[in-house]
Amino acid sequence: MKILGLIAVILTGGLLLSAVHDFPDWGDTTSPASSYRLSQYYITETIHVTAVPNMVTAVLADFRGYDTMFETVVIFTAGIAIIGVLRRYGPGPKLAAPKETITKEKPDLIITTTCRLLIPIIQIFALYVIAHGHHSPGGGFQGGVIFGASFILLALAKDLQTAQKWVPEKRVLKLAVIGIFIYAGFGLVAMLFGSNFLDYSVLHPIMPATDSIMARSHSMLGVEIGVAFTVTAIMFSIYSNLASHGDLKEGL
Amino acid sequence: MIDQAPALILLIPFLAAIIVALMGFRFRSLCYPLVLLSMAGSVWASIATLLSVLEGGVIRYHLGGWEPPFGIELRIDGLNALVVVVVSSVSLLAAIYSRRTVLAENGDKISQFYSLFLLLATGLLGMVLTGDAFNLYVLIEIAALTSYALIAMGPKRATLAAYKYVIMGTIGASFYLLGVGYLYIKTGSLNMVDIQEQLVARDLAGSPAIMVSFILITVGVWIKMAFFPLHAWLPNAYCFSPTTSSCILAPLVTKVMVYVMVRMMLTVYGAEYTFAHLDWSRIIVWMAVVAILAGSISALGQTNLRKMLSFLIIAEVGYMVGGVWLAEEMGMVGSIYHIISDAFMTLCVFLFAGIIISKTGKTDLNALDGMFKKMPLTMTGFLAGAFSLIGIPPTAGFFSKWYLIQGGINSGRWEYVVALLISSLINAVLFFRIIEIAHFGVKPAEGHSHHHSDGHDKISEAPLSQLIPLLGTGALLLIIGLYNKDIVAVISDFLSSSNLGGGIR
Repeated sequence: MKILGLIAVILTGGLLLSAVHDFPDWGDTTSPASSYRLSQYYITETIHVTAVPNMVTAVLADFRGYDTMFETVVIFTAGIAIIGVLRRYGPGPKLAAPKETITKEKPDLIITTTCRLLIPIIQIFALYVIAHGHHSPGGGFQGGVIFGASFILLALAKDLQTAQKWVPEKRVLKLAVIGIFIYAGFGLVAMLFGSNFLDYSVLHPIMPATDSIMARSHSMLGVEIGVAFTVTAIMFSIYSNLASHGDLKEGL
Repeated sequence: MIDQAPALILLIPFLAAIIVALMGFRFRSLCYPLVLLSMAGSVWASIATLLSVLEGGVIRYHLGGWEPPFGIELRIDGLNALVVVVVSSVSLLAAIYSRRTVLAENGDKISQFYSLFLLLATGLLGMVLTGDAFNLYVLIEIAALTSYALIAMGPKRATLAAYKYVIMGTIGASFYLLGVGYLYIKTGSLNMVDIQEQLVARDLAGSPAIMVSFILITVGVWIKMAFFPLHAWLPNAYCFSPTTSSCILAPLVTKVMVYVMVRMMLTVYGAEYTFAHLDWSRIIVWMAVVAILAGSISALGQTNLRKMLSFLIIAEVGYMVGGVWLAEEMGMVGSIYHIISDAFMTLCVFLFAGIIISKTGKTDLNALDGMFKKMPLTMTGFLAGAFSLIGIPPTAGFFSKWYLIQGGINSGRWEYVVALLISSLINAVLFFRIIEIAHFGVKPAEGHSHHHSDGHDKISEAPLSQLIPLLGTGALLLIIGLYNKDIVAVISDFLSSSNLGGGIR
């Protein structure tokens, strides 16, 4: 089997390398990817048609917003799948290997103090990353992961129960669902206004936006917030299910 | 409303999936009706879309209001309008069936199960609808993640089977993504139609990178559809999963991947590039012949009902890949028609297997002992599926084989024709063995004597929620068979617009 695997890897590698000489040069401005009207349009027109200076965000949250909605759904699906496979309600079967008994000491003073100082800063930074995503590098995915990490840090520093007080399982699911609803909601409301799904430009009457271009900018912020809700919730949910073998009682 | 139908096809089950995930905690009994309602809505929207495609030609739905190639579009022509109706109605039938089995198999996780079920339907529908090569990848991810979880939620051995599927499926999806990356490097676009235009405009037929991308995408899709010898994940995954999961996974996942292969070959690369320039049909049809024979012969050795059916899927995938690569119009028609008929016949036999398993608790063929007396209606439904898989007229399976064999004869690929006939014979042997067990009972030599049959032969049919989808599928198989001319007319229309003539030797 190992030999077969090696052969498969060598074949694949050889196949990938065989086409490299056909690639455009590194940084070639005349390469198809950089000279085609697609990227030209994104580079020159993004600011005019969406009023968003960060064109990466504009591409992912507006031009290809449909993809990004489903990327959020991928994360949501991963969370539901992990709950579906791992979660045990009630006393489950005893695990084969007995866990090392961790002596319950008082939480370490240095760790708790550091976390108390650190977690608010992490969360504020996460909010900044989310809110400023359409102007500078950042956005819902990154901010959501940072926000989720703050809860994971809390669970690691104290224990899972403490973190659960802030984000119990039901609230996690609610947050995740709300996030997707925010995203899909922008699309659905656009449909109600008689346009296509996710066409933010028709939303300007119900937004503090002057015209359809600003509506796109504001909507991008909106969907980024939706993404952040889902990512935050699912990050913590995946951690807590994995760390507690699915019973959400004792973490690592 | 009606011009939003293309988007509604997948938005309805998608939103329902999210509501189910949230609501399942408190109102568990509402999950099932909501699933049915949303899938019914999806079927309605897909039929409306099919009708308007038949009337007015290709529909292009620009998401976010951006013109392609800047934004993503749903592009619906004759081919995917047909497939989308199949996907949504198969999901609806599997959803009807799920009423009792989900309670019995995953009683504590109903909301998660149904949420994943609907997301799987969303992913598959999206894959069929989209006109964007990268968007297809995102939806492959959703369909794959949900199927891993739906399989892993089964009893013990399901976890290992799902793990193997995770590894193989991820490799397949990565190959596809790499292929799309190579395409983007050379064309600068992700929209399927636009890629095709760029390939022609930049005269990229001779480019090695394009050839590598073609190989990567094809192999990736083959892994996902379990084309022999890349099939190892499939039998155990479909055999050990919960029966409801196998009822939606087995009919749809492989078939939708065959659709993706056809779409890539005809719309993205173009028939001329695929058949005339690369000219690999000789090798690939031989591979398909091996796949058909290997799948059929492995099925002969199985005593587990669902495992036997899983090997038949591998043979059926061989039919379709071979038919497409015959590089001949009849073969292509046959393959696309077979996507439709095979989805329903696989659904039919897997529904039957699910009913038997939930009724008797046994998974092997001996569980069928005397079933004609106990469950006459269930067996009737099963016969439609079995006859269709064997290829007895007027079921759908007969006509798809008819077109495939015609394609084989027209292109002079006799090895393919022979493989099809041998496989049909093997199917006949397999299903008549089942019918024999169900009619005459298990032979006493096999351990079960016949004396305990007193009072055992009372009619005890499957519950209605399982009987309706089974009989409905059986009826649909006949309808698809009888209306084969109309379906083929739609397929031929699509093929003439995709300029198959340019690629035929």
